[in-house]
Amino acid sequence: MQKLISIPREVMVEEELMLPGMTSCQGCGAALAMKIALKGLGKRTIVVFPACCFAVFVGSYPHTSLNVPIVHCPFETAAVVASGVSAALDMREEKDVVVMVWAGDGGTFDIGIQSLSGAAERNENILYVCYDNEAYMNTGIQRSSATPIGAWTTTTPAGSIKEEPKKDIEQIMLAHHITYMATASPAYPDDMFWKFKKARRITGMKFIHLLSPCPPGWRIDPGKSVQAARMATQSKIFPIYEVRRWRFSKSKEHFQDDWEFTLNVLPEREVSVGEYMKSQGRFQLATGAMISDVQERVDRKWENLLQKTGNKATKTI
Amino acid sequence: MATGRRSELAKQYVLKTWRDMTAMNVSLGTMLHNRTGSWRAIRPVYEDKIPTCQNACPVGNDIEGWLRLLEQRKYKEAYWHLKREEPFPAILGRVCFKFCENACNRSALDRNIDINDLECFLGDWVSSSEPHPLIRAGNGKTLAVVGSGPAGMSASYFARLLGFNVTIFEKYPSPGGILRVGIPAYRLPREVVDAEFLGLQGMGIELRTNTLIGRDISLRELASRFDYIFLGTGAHRSLPSGLEGDGIGDEVMSGLTLLNRVALGEKVALGRQVVVIGGGNTAIDAARSAIRLGSEVTVVYRRSEAEMPAHPEEVLSAREEGVQFRFLAAPERVIRSETGGIDTLLCCEMALGAPDESGRKQPIKKDGSSFPINAQTIVTAIGEEPDLENFDGLPLNRDRTVDVDNGLSIPFYAGWSARIYAGGDIINIPRTVAHAVASGKRAAIAIDCDRRGEDFPSALEKIKVGQGPALSFSLYMGWDDFNPSPRNNRTVVDSKLIVYDYFQKDPQLEKSVRAKSRRAVSFEPCRLPLSEKDVHFESQRCMHCGRCTHCDNCLIFCPDVSILDKSEGTSGYFIDYEYCKGCGICSTECPRQAITMVSESTDHCEEG
Amino acid sequence: MKRAIKGNHAVSYGVKLSRVEVISAYPITPQTTVIEEISEMCANGDLKARFIKVESEHSAMSALVGASTAGVRTFTATSGNGLLLMHEVLHWAAGARLPIVLTNVNRAVSGVWNIWADQTDSLAQRDTGWIQIYCESSQEVLDGIITAYKLAEAVHLPVMITYDAFFLSHTTEVVDIPEAKEVDEFLPPYSPPFFCNFEDPRMFGGFVSTDYFYEHRYAMQRSSLDALSQYQRICEEFARIFGRSYDTVEEYRTEDADLILVTAGTISSVSRITVDRFREKGHKVGLMKLRMFRPAPLDKWRKVLGRADKVVVIDRNQSIGLGGVFASEIQMALYPLERHPRIYPVVAGLGGRDVTPEDVEGIVNHALSTDKQAGAPLYWGLKQ
Repeated sequence: MQKLISIPREVMVEEELMLPGMTSCQGCGAALAMKIALKGLGKRTIVVFPACCFAVFVGSYPHTSLNVPIVHCPFETAAVVASGVSAALDMREEKDVVVMVWAGDGGTFDIGIQSLSGAAERNENILYVCYDNEAYMNTGIQRSSATPIGAWTTTTPAGSIKEEPKKDIEQIMLAHHITYMATASPAYPDDMFWKFKKARRITGMKFIHLLSPCPPGWRIDPGKSVQAARMATQSKIFPIYEVRRWRFSKSKEHFQDDWEFTLNVLPEREVSVGEYMKSQGRFQLATGAMISDVQERVDRKWENLLQKTGNKATKTI
Repeated sequence: MATGRRSELAKQYVLKTWRDMTAMNVSLGTMLHNRTGSWRAIRPVYEDKIPTCQNACPVGNDIEGWLRLLEQRKYKEAYWHLKREEPFPAILGRVCFKFCENACNRSALDRNIDINDLECFLGDWVSSSEPHPLIRAGNGKTLAVVGSGPAGMSASYFARLLGFNVTIFEKYPSPGGILRVGIPAYRLPREVVDAEFLGLQGMGIELRTNTLIGRDISLRELASRFDYIFLGTGAHRSLPSGLEGDGIGDEVMSGLTLLNRVALGEKVALGRQVVVIGGGNTAIDAARSAIRLGSEVTVVYRRSEAEMPAHPEEVLSAREEGVQFRFLAAPERVIRSETGGIDTLLCCEMALGAPDESGRKQPIKKDGSSFPINAQTIVTAIGEEPDLENFDGLPLNRDRTVDVDNGLSIPFYAGWSARIYAGGDIINIPRTVAHAVASGKRAAIAIDCDRRGEDFPSALEKIKVGQGPALSFSLYMGWDDFNPSPRNNRTVVDSKLIVYDYFQKDPQLEKSVRAKSRRAVSFEPCRLPLSEKDVHFESQRCMHCGRCTHCDNCLIFCPDVSILDKSEGTSGYFIDYEYCKGCGICSTECPRQAITMVSESTDHCEEG
Repeated sequence: MKRAIKGNHAVSYGVKLSRVEVISAYPITPQTTVIEEISEMCANGDLKARFIKVESEHSAMSALVGASTAGVRTFTATSGNGLLLMHEVLHWAAGARLPIVLTNVNRAVSGVWNIWADQTDSLAQRDTGWIQIYCESSQEVLDGIITAYKLAEAVHLPVMITYDAFFLSHTTEVVDIPEAKEVDEFLPPYSPPFFCNFEDPRMFGGFVSTDYFYEHRYAMQRSSLDALSQYQRICEEFARIFGRSYDTVEEYRTEDADLILVTAGTISSVSRITVDRFREKGHKVGLMKLRMFRPAPLDKWRKVLGRADKVVVIDRNQSIGLGGVFASEIQMALYPLERHPRIYPVVAGLGGRDVTPEDVEGIVNHALSTDKQAGAPLYWGLKQ
């Protein structure tokens, strides 16, 4: 039997919260991800967009592509603008609403990290989604701190291919003791759907790191976009997992944090980092040393993750 | 909303003056007015294709089709769907070479589907007395089928469906040809063959046994009484081994003779030790029969195991039953004891040289390597050829099979009032039951084309399946499929096009086989039928290569919300070509390649 | 109710009476006591508001952009470099037509580092589209906040209320704090034309192409100019309810003045003393205090100053490479007149350098002594 994607059918075919007509590139991973995310979140969602691809292609005045309210904001401010929206909704006593940031890697890892850090430390009741296409794609494929080792970009051209490792945004967010942190991928839409549905009901700061393949930036065929995301998980470069922080008390005076790590997707097959990288044009100039470097980091992170998930890779999807 | 024109809901707002701007910068409408379909260079279309199993089947069995119905527990529908292309599931479900299983794309994931067992299940499920629902009205033409082996059976079956009036002539008292006198009962029970003929007769086909064409009725006489003749007399003359005493008495006999006599119920006295010479199915059938008759058996084959034409499963079963094998050995001569009976077979070792015209490495005798094998009976099964002494002057190929044209018609008889066709082992085809059935099907279609005055090669082009030689009878008849999706009958979906990530490995099915200890002493069937539970488990493993199963992957993965559910009462999905950008994700993520990306025409994009 | 309170606390009361719903702020001297007081008001329930303790001023304004779009009344306070850090978002808030109110303690801009009174910080924001009102007293500040909300919500542009560092922020004055009931009558709850809701989901602040940006900016200009008459209307209503009158300028003894001083902020208090001294000596000197700076009430300036022979503008600010900002704008305002007064631009008091009545006397004396118009500003009190 095929492993069917377990999103309830009536949800998939009901009225769309995302409409076509967007000027996204063919095969855009972010567009697909938003479609699934909104299925999980539903109508009572407000989306905050800083400057990023999506902010541009979602629609130009006076037209929009989403059937939910959208607040555009300056590039570096998404997390705090969302905090403001969240505070206002509290004051207006609007219940059961989710305020979601949909920001790119540039607006999250780099210029937006201050406001993100502030909102995370305050454990603001927002859902921050970073759709990571691993470079400043909107402005024409410049490197960001999310660009992985070995990648070509216009600011890491041949002769100065990126050597610095990708910033570990997941660890950074965990260091802020936020309530919920997860990774997600459009190659696993049912995991995405259920994660967003669940995140809605969690109070506190929620961060989802979402891998978003970009055909023009990654130099892949648009039709292979979802496959690229799947290979990223199969090569363990982008494991799909979630972390929930629980606060429990042993006594009135004693509170404690506990972290629950869950691995959500067990890769269907093993793919080496080299195979993953060679399937994308942007990595064609990566050296063997770079590939080994990445493989070593990936293996270490995976071991760590297996330990944290109780030394077992439990598939929940 | 799904199948309506969404672009009709679009309104593009154009603001004329600064006063039209709202106090806050808010949107007024949607982006639906932006018909991104104009971006495309290629577009997706739903197009079912041919899976490797159907492509590999010489008969063109639409395996995926009946597996789908079987999975849904619609046994009767599955049976009649199967019968459109392959007439004898109970038989082929037991004796087929299983080309489909070898080609099954699932083997790259865990193991192939046990198609053969599932076909057998279906063949046994429905009684042969059920009336066939697809027989066309009589077309007024008559067909005489000579020989009731698989080729003749198949030609009769399909010709009958086409509306011909069919009579089968069989020289033996019981029909079935090789099925009855060649394949042993532990592989193919007699009752199954009998039931099949009951079915054929139920369709209105006349069966005349004990009638030898060429002796009881001459071929010319037959030609004057019938519009068409199909010769399907098989290849039942064993090739001589050159060993002393071959064909005289019981000491040196051909494999076919042994099988024949066992099938007819005659008592055969075999020596305590028997050597079977040969590496084909006849040799193995003879060996396994000899074991059951109580002898110790050694099979001697001049090439190595890898080159044996016999089915590997048969060889394995033979081994399990105690048959010994000696490879790279060929018989030299028989050695008799003082009492006169055969005592030893002297053999010599062979080595493999360069490949011969069949593509297999040629065996070369090693000088001075003779060695003896103790045996009292020698069974030779080194090949068969058609026995044509009752038919004068047939044009022959070098291997003494009958020469036919592409439509299986024998051009030699052009002057006669009847057209003569031939098929099965009498012509040059691979010697398997499936190929024989396929040639019968092909002949029936060729005969019908002749009747209608249609050019057979053009008709062939239209009904070819995959890379050929499989043919689709359904296409020829214009029957609607229960699966209404448009179908490309040429493109074959091989394992490179299957997305295995969407399937998970299944545990091994525990198939029940008769205990080894019991097998070697009886002619009862070896393979026990599958339970319904196992049938269901196995049938749902089918990946439906090339055929849309409405798994919703395309609908879920479209980033432009351009694949939508179709409205009630129709099948498939609606592709909104007004917005589809032709990215190709749907095609890549279809687990079974049921979506093809085709070049965008220069016309404007239309609704799909 | 009259109370003796610090300037910063007048802000807190203004915020409380205006029933602000979301506040976000970042501490910076000399604004800190504003937000400390507001924190206490929130904590003890006097003020029912969410106070987001953001991690920078840039974020402070950004949070309000979000909150205001979601349809609530918002407030922040800052000063000096904090205001500068908000600069990008100030543009955004005005462009988004959000009725946010901000109080800015006028403090010198760094580098080099100085925390005392200087108006360059808010004047550097004069192009952002924010309405700007300069205050001289704590009463003005409190009243200013309340009227600011009414004005902002009428014209859909944000308003900033400014006042001098330490001279006003940290000094105690007697302030008449209005009754909540009266303020509620004057300032009803915020009712935005558009806000985030799910029955009518809209995109706020989307990408505007070359087709519409120009018109959008023109609309802002029109609204800003409309604020001039709206403010007058609002102040008239305020006067009726609370008994205090305000206008875009405040005139003191200008009706027959030959020489008019133009000041903004606490220098105005000092200058009033000097005007009286000159009047005693028989000089016809007057004072025009600038209150609303943006939109620039050019007609008013022309009307008040056009009559005089000499206009002395004291700028506690500087646009490097040009001179005092007020002076340059006053000159621009007077240019279309048939007959110009002579302009005497003066820069004084930068970085909290004290400007005493004696200083102003010296400035006026200088202006009286010469008819020659200065090409460049007079830098009063410079160590040279």
